[in-house]
Parts: sequence; structure tokens; C-alpha cells
Amino acid sequence: MMPLKVHWGSPGHWAIRLIWVAATIAFVVYIPTQTQPGTIGDMTVALELVAVAMALNLVMGYGGLISLGHSAYFGLGAYTMAVLVDHYGWSQGWTLYVAAAFGFVVGCLTSLPALRLKGVYLALTSIGLAVLFPQLVKWQKLEWLTDGARGIDNLQYDEIPVWPILGELDGRRGRAVWMYWLAVIVATIAYFICRGIVKSRVGRSLIAIRDNETAAAVMGVNRARTQTIVYGLSAAITATAGALFGIRINGVSPDQFDLILSITFVVIMVIGGGATLWGPVIGAFAYVVLEIRTREWGGGDSEGLVGVLFGWLKGSPATLILAVVLLVLMFVAPYGIIGLLKRLAAKFVVIVPSPAGTRSNVPPVEEGLDPSIDEPFPSVSTEETP
Amino acid sequence: MTSRSTRVLAVAGASVLAFSVTGLGHVGAGSDEGWTVDTEDCSDPDRANAPIEGTIRIGSAMPLSGGAAAAAFEPAARGLEAYINYANENELVPGYELELTIGDDQYDPALTPGVVNGLIDDGVNLFAGIIGTQNNLAVRDTLNEECIPQLNVLAGDPRFGEVADYPWTTGVLTSYEYEYGAYAQDIAANFPGSTVGLYYVNSEFGNISMDNFKAAAEEAGLEIVAEETVELGDEAPPQAQVSTLADAAPDVLVTVPLGAQCISFLNELANAKAANEWDPVVYMTNTCAASALILGAAGENADGIYTSAAMGIADVANPEVAATEPVAAYIAEMEAQGLGDIITTGAAGWNAGEVTVAVLLDALESPDGLTQASIINAARNLDVHPTLLREGMNYTMNGEDDAFYSQDVQISQYSVADGFYTDIGEPFSFESTTEE
Repeated sequence: MMPLKVHWGSPGHWAIRLIWVAATIAFVVYIPTQTQPGTIGDMTVALELVAVAMALNLVMGYGGLISLGHSAYFGLGAYTMAVLVDHYGWSQGWTLYVAAAFGFVVGCLTSLPALRLKGVYLALTSIGLAVLFPQLVKWQKLEWLTDGARGIDNLQYDEIPVWPILGELDGRRGRAVWMYWLAVIVATIAYFICRGIVKSRVGRSLIAIRDNETAAAVMGVNRARTQTIVYGLSAAITATAGALFGIRINGVSPDQFDLILSITFVVIMVIGGGATLWGPVIGAFAYVVLEIRTREWGGGDSEGLVGVLFGWLKGSPATLILAVVLLVLMFVAPYGIIGLLKRLAAKFVVIVPSPAGTRSNVPPVEEGLDPSIDEPFPSVSTEETP
Repeated sequence: MTSRSTRVLAVAGASVLAFSVTGLGHVGAGSDEGWTVDTEDCSDPDRANAPIEGTIRIGSAMPLSGGAAAAAFEPAARGLEAYINYANENELVPGYELELTIGDDQYDPALTPGVVNGLIDDGVNLFAGIIGTQNNLAVRDTLNEECIPQLNVLAGDPRFGEVADYPWTTGVLTSYEYEYGAYAQDIAANFPGSTVGLYYVNSEFGNISMDNFKAAAEEAGLEIVAEETVELGDEAPPQAQVSTLADAAPDVLVTVPLGAQCISFLNELANAKAANEWDPVVYMTNTCAASALILGAAGENADGIYTSAAMGIADVANPEVAATEPVAAYIAEMEAQGLGDIITTGAAGWNAGEVTVAVLLDALESPDGLTQASIINAARNLDVHPTLLREGMNYTMNGEDDAFYSQDVQISQYSVADGFYTDIGEPFSFESTTEE
């Protein structure tokens, strides 16, 4: 069966986009209105991770800069919120802005090694950042501010703020719904920031530096400025998500923000699909669902398939199952889940540029961007179309 | 909160020790009076006072998978399951089936709220035996707001005795305030004039433990001459830390490692002792020292360490104790359930399960019958002697006046040759010293 060809910018293309947007909105609204607080909480976790994975994707996916230090930015945001709420009596909502601003500044400063280092050396530097953060928080000379290894508790909203559109929120459900919508807002803003950057001059510069630094420099791309801005924005988004995390779990402690957390962020970005806008979104939701399911499977009596495959293990096989599933996933979807979905969708629909001379074919192709960058369905050039 | 400690005199406990020796029951004192919870502030007061019928759904969040800490604590989950199975088979709660669901939070406080919320959605009536300070703190506000009992918290942080602010949360583990208070007093009494060195995991658990020890040490007039920490999850031999401690050569070491760190510390300490002709007395947190797994792995190097009986539980590895009822019945039951390999490490879970059932029985006998409110009322007015608790001790709670069950601390010393602990002296009692 030949796939259906849809021209870029045609009514059919817009219909696909509208269906995709409508399905996304329906999903976002369905969760807090039709599901239990536990599910709402799980999806809030996913949305926090969406924001972080998109932020990391800017640096790693589009920028090609390996970062294993994003747990530090995440923790920085969480601790900024915690200190302001606990020590200075701030309202949780206002702390998100400060966390973002502080994250941006620290992100710009810590981008400096990226200006001189590449590849594995940069990765090692970023690992240093991830390892340093918990130690810094525990440092005795900073205990007056961070409470050291004891952590800071009681960070959730005492009273849930009133937003007329959400109606009256109270109790566990109200708290879960409120945190969910905060996470939706943060993830949405993160999406549009990333989308804006990727489609802007900065984004094109970033991709150019990643693909051929010398050529980019010759073309007049300011590498230092571009990478610093992107690092700063990435850190700001991550710090905001960290602040949300701290409010949701009602406390922060330094060991929560370790190197493993950074690796989790990278895993989410990679399984979703790097250098795509929707990859981190899909990756975060897939990871959260998988992680919860594997703990549930492992926590049971190991009956059925899980029992047959992992019954020989003493204790729960949850982490082993998760590892195996992730390995299999990377084997069948080396370009991430979004890559796999695009490959599958290509059997039915392909987006092709409009015929030459029509207005709608101009922007993405001529700007040197992959027209499929934020499309759920694959695009191919007319030359590639049989 | 302040504390006063006195040696327990010969506890005239015959009346409270009249538990059945033919089974694994308990003796509780149903209370029609005493402290009662106010349900007006609950998000759903009707639910808090609604009768529970047919099935009592008990939830918990424990580490079933994950790192080394999870491996050390996982037997507690199986111990809890074993007691609930036992209670159902023997119809200990007449007319009710107990349904226990343990969610896996991997000892990660970020995962605990998700586990607990999912269980609440599934209709859990109460929670019991959630492990870990941060893990319990992460859900304490939610459970108190929802007025769902959070019973028998398996964490010793004194904050789990804040009755006025968190009436729905009760702990079963001996508070660190009492555990470390007892160590300080024992050192002062048995090793007078000794200098003390500290070694602990640099986490909330380690720091709060040491805060309590330092306060008690100051009161007891002990001099602390060295202090070293190890990071959470760092299981490498702590050569630098132990070397620094050896340089200071304290007479006594008070140590709070966690999980596999307990083994690496004891091994490294043995090397330092051999190299420095230094032979300190070692007190170790019962979180480490109660684990047969840890002691077994440390081998000869665990010989002679002092600790305290976690929750006042008897050392079931001691053949003399194991031969007596009702501990023998406990061991037989665990073996019947295929859990003979975790009779020591699973005891904490079994004990938490037994206290939970004792609370349910008292709640059932209350005028309101079994409701979430009557459960927490019963928990806060409980007087019980569980199967594994040492003779002469009782779990007593009395509203805001007495917020902890386990307030008697028995110091004991491990012998590798014997393979069990021997009690040293009489227990220290901190009973009824809680102040809000």
C-alpha cells in the first residue's frame, strides 16, 4: 500500500496538525478531570520530566554538548524554592520565577567549560557538577542556608491557591490537580521556549555548531554566545522543574539530586528521541509509565510471565525488568520512540514539500530545518519520494 | 522534647505479660477513654468516621528493589506479609479479612508519594510500616490531611512523635533520641572518662542520629574528639575516615553507617586496629547491627560490638530465646511460610504487623467499632506486649503525654562465637518523657 502524500501547508497537513493538537489537549484535560489523584500525581511527575528532558535536549540533542550535570540544576531549583519557602516565608508560586532566574545565571556560568571542552572531557566536567551539588548542599559552612544533609521539609502549599477556571480545589485531589496544572504550564512554556530556540537564529546557530563548528564559525556564528544562552535557558527550565518537584514531594534533601538522576534525564531524552521536539515528551511519559509498571510487576508475587522469566531472582526484579525493557527499546527504536512512531506512520502518511512556487513550501526547507521537527508524521523531500 | 532516663527497676510486669504462650496473640488493653482524634479538620470527616466492613485494606511503602539499602530492608516487608498471612489464617480479627498491599518505593522518598497515592485510590484504610524517615515525611502531610492512619512508622526520627500537629502518624521504632541517649549513658556508666569518636552516614538519618547523640553526650559529660562521615551510597572501604579516627584514638566509637557501609566500616576498622594497636569499644546503630546479613558478612570483625535491641525486640538468633514461647512459635510460623532464612531480619516487619493487628482489635472493641478514627484512637491509647518484645517491656502510648511505643532501650553485645547478642545490664527507660 502506498502511503498517503500530504503537502506541507496544505489543508490536509493542517488537519493532521489540528488532530495532533486536539488529541494532546484532550489528553491533558482528561487526566485531571477523569482520573484518580494517584494517576494525576504520576502524570505530574511525567510533566516535570518532560520539561527537564526538553531542556536537556536543547543542550545535548540540538547542541551536541554532553551534559550529565542537569541533576545539579534540578536540585538548584528545588533548593532555591525550599530556602525561600522555609526560611523566608515566600509563597511557592513566586519561587518558581526565582528558581528559573537563578538557574539561568548558574547555567550560563557553568557553560564556560563547554566553550573550551568537547566530547568526553565535557561529559566528565558535567559529571563533576552532578557530584559537587549534593556535597555543596551538605557543606557545613552552608548549613545555615541549606540545613545540610537533614534536608528541608514542609514545602507544599498550606492553602491551595484559587484559580476560578479550576473551581474549588481541596484535599488530596485538589492538591494533585493544582500541581498537575502547574506542571502543565511549566512543560508548555518549556516546549515553546525550546521550539522558539530551535526555529530561531540561535537554534540554527546551535545546530550548525554541532554539525560543523569550523564551518559555523566561518559563517559568522558566535559560538560562545550561542552556547551560553542555550545552556542558561536549559538550566532555567530544569531548575523550574526542580522547584515543582520539591513542592510536590513536600521536601528536599541533597542525596535526591545525584548523578543517577542526571543519567535518568539522559535516558528519558534518548528513549524519546534526541533532537526532536516531541521526543522528550514521549520519552518522559513512556519512562514514568514503565518505571511504575515494573515496580508493580516486581512487587507482586511474581506470577505469570514475570514469574517465569525472573522467578529465579531473590527479591524484586523491578530494576532488572526496567533495564531489559530499555535495552530492547533502544534496539528496536535506535532513534527513540518518536523515530519508531515516524517510521510506522510513514507506512500510511508522508508529508512532502508543496510544489515549487507555492508559498507554503518556503519556510522550513529553505531555512535548512527538518520540516518534521515538530510533526508527528514523517516528512520526505520530493526527490526521495518514489 | 526533653528526656529523662532512669534505669528500669525490676519491672513488675506479670500482669502485662500474660500473653498466650500457645500462640502468637497479644495482650492489649482496650480503651474506652483517653485521647481521641478530632476529625473536623479532615478533608472528608465522613470517611474518617465511616465503619470499615468486611475487608481491612492495609497499605505500605517499602523498598522491594533498588540499591543496597533496599536489600537490607526488604526482609521487613516479608516479615510484615508473614504476620498478616498468619492473622488471616487464624482469624485474629474476627469477621474481617486483612488485605495487605506493599508498594515498592525503592527507599526513594521521591517515589513514596506516588505509591501511597495509588494505594489510597485503591481504597486503603490505613498504612503500616512505611520504612524511612524521608519517605514517611514525604507522605505525612497527605495522610494527616486525609485522616488515614499512618501506623507503626519504621523510622526513629523524633518528629514522628508530634501528636498535636500530626495526630494520624505513630512510630514503632525506638526514637533516635532514646537510642542514642542510651548509648551516651551506657558509655558514661561503663567506660567513664572515655573519649568518643563519631562515624556516620552523611544523610538525614545519620545527622539526626548524631544530633541526638551529641545532645545526650553533652548531658553525660562525654568528650567527642573526632567526627568522620561517609556519603550515602558510598560503599568503598572508608580508609581515610578510619585513619583519621585512628589518629585521634578515641576510646569509644559511636557509628551510624547504612546498609553495606556497615560491613565496609567494620572491615576497615579491623585493619586500623591491627595497624595502630588501637582497640576502641564500638557502639553501632541497631539499623546495622540487628541485621544477621550484615553481621554475617562482617564475620570476626563484628565481634564485640555494642548496639541496642531495635524496638526492644528479643534476639531470636539466641538459641535460649528461640526455644522459649512465643518466640519458638514465631520461628515455626516463619519456617512454615518458607521464611526461615529471615527470622532475624524479618522480625521488624512481623512486629509492625502484630502491633497493627493489636490496634485493629482495640479499635474493633471501641464503641464506634472499626473506623479510621477509632483505629488512630486505639493506636494512641495502646498498651500491648507483642510476641517478640523482651520480657519486662511493653508498648505503651498515651495520647499527647506519651507519643512513642518503644521507650525502653536494652544495650547488648554481639559475640561472633555465639552468633547472637548478650544483654548488658538493665534496660534504660525513657517511658513517658515525651513533651510536645
